[in-house]
Amino acid sequence: MKGLLKNNFLTVYSNAKVFSIFMLISGLFVIAVISQTLLIGYVLLSMVGFSTNAITSIKKEFISKWGKYKLTLPVKRAAIVKSYFISQLIWLLVGTLYAGIVISLSWALHGCPYDNSIDVVSIFAFGISVSIFTGAFFFPLLYLGGEERSDVFLVISLLCGIGTVLGIISLLNLYLAPGITTILLSAAVLLFSSLLLFALSYPLSVIIYHKKEY
Amino acid sequence: MENILELQQICKSFPKSNFILDKLSFSLPYGSILGFVGENGAGKTTTIGCILNTVRKDSGMVKLFGKEMRDTDTDIREKIGVVYDGDNFPGFWSAKQLSQVMEGIYTQWDNALFQKYLENFHLPVKQKIKNYSRGMTMKLAIAVALSHHPQLLILDEATSGLDPIMRDEMLDVFLEFVQEESHSILLSSHITSDLEKVADYITFIHNGKLILTASKNDLVYHYAVMRCRESQFLALDPGDIIAYRKRDFQIDVLVDNGKEAQRKYKDAVVDHVSVDEIMLLLVKGERV
Repeated sequence: MKGLLKNNFLTVYSNAKVFSIFMLISGLFVIAVISQTLLIGYVLLSMVGFSTNAITSIKKEFISKWGKYKLTLPVKRAAIVKSYFISQLIWLLVGTLYAGIVISLSWALHGCPYDNSIDVVSIFAFGISVSIFTGAFFFPLLYLGGEERSDVFLVISLLCGIGTVLGIISLLNLYLAPGITTILLSAAVLLFSSLLLFALSYPLSVIIYHKKEY
Repeated sequence: MENILELQQICKSFPKSNFILDKLSFSLPYGSILGFVGENGAGKTTTIGCILNTVRKDSGMVKLFGKEMRDTDTDIREKIGVVYDGDNFPGFWSAKQLSQVMEGIYTQWDNALFQKYLENFHLPVKQKIKNYSRGMTMKLAIAVALSHHPQLLILDEATSGLDPIMRDEMLDVFLEFVQEESHSILLSSHITSDLEKVADYITFIHNGKLILTASKNDLVYHYAVMRCRESQFLALDPGDIIAYRKRDFQIDVLVDNGKEAQRKYKDAVVDHVSVDEIMLLLVKGERV
């Protein structure tokens, strides 16, 4: 697993480096300017951006024969899939850290950036669950449809991720009255449902990957 | 003789291309090199895919180290080194980064040995693989395949695209590898001159079918081509003919024992031929 994670890191590294620099510069701008909209955008972009960057890089492995070569290494197919899932979570964590640092600094310099401080929880829950849902949709689709279609699958997965999160929020809003409890409950439901689908997506991806030929 | 690799009645079909790997059987004994020959599209890579489980066979059995390899048998794959034709590794990595990945994958990865191969093959450690020449990428793949102390090397067209000097260099590396009796190489190639230099056995495949498997010595010293006229050809015992090919004024007949054929058919001209010509006759010739 160590080698596979290192492989994933090296595959993502150059894109992630460019994205990190961009996020660092834009983070400084967002901290300097007092804007709630910019902060929300930054938080979402950071979390979704880093994790989607991690999954798009998979296609780079198939430009060479590396995707096929990996199957001849002493690793199980399930371990290869697992390493992608873990990598996505690691990059989501990096994105969340970026977002957390920028929000904390903005808060420290200008005070609470939102109408209610509890809104921070909603935004983070939104960003994290969109990222996780995207990954949950992406991996089975990737193995089912082929690596050469990874770009379109990423777009579809991202749209499905956003749609699912908005759908869950709309559903909860139908039955729950507005308030702090509702916000916390919604965040918990979003995180739990996205993680549940992510967990279910793993065995499904493994089953599909086992049938793939290279 | 014990076999490191054994294929029994392997079948694999690709309905979209109508290609069928048809009941392929051959074996590779310990301590030897088997040349796996066939024209492009004959089924060499598919066969290797079936051996390495990158392609799912329809039926038949592949035994590696006496055991059928499943996805969970990572210990078997620890003992196998693989080289594919072309770009085996991501071009945006350097040899150093590749080594870091392999170190985390192979329990027996020998970084010192890998560095030694890089040095011997004159491969820059920090240069991106995409900036390597084709020969350099093949050398790198061979270095990787050897640096975890494998017992079996599976090389799919590993020498194609290399210049003769580089090919000769690589063949020396392969010969050194099989000095150990527990080591073997499956060398798929359509460059038969390479196989004549190093292989102990040669297996011919054509249109997904095994057409001949024999020891190289047999092919070089015993197999021969009889140059016959029409009347001589008609007088031949069909049991002596492996394959034949009509030319303008003669018929070339492949036989498995040139000396015996010369004794039996005194008028015929019998020539010892290269593996290349044997392959041509087997592929383009007709059977009785």
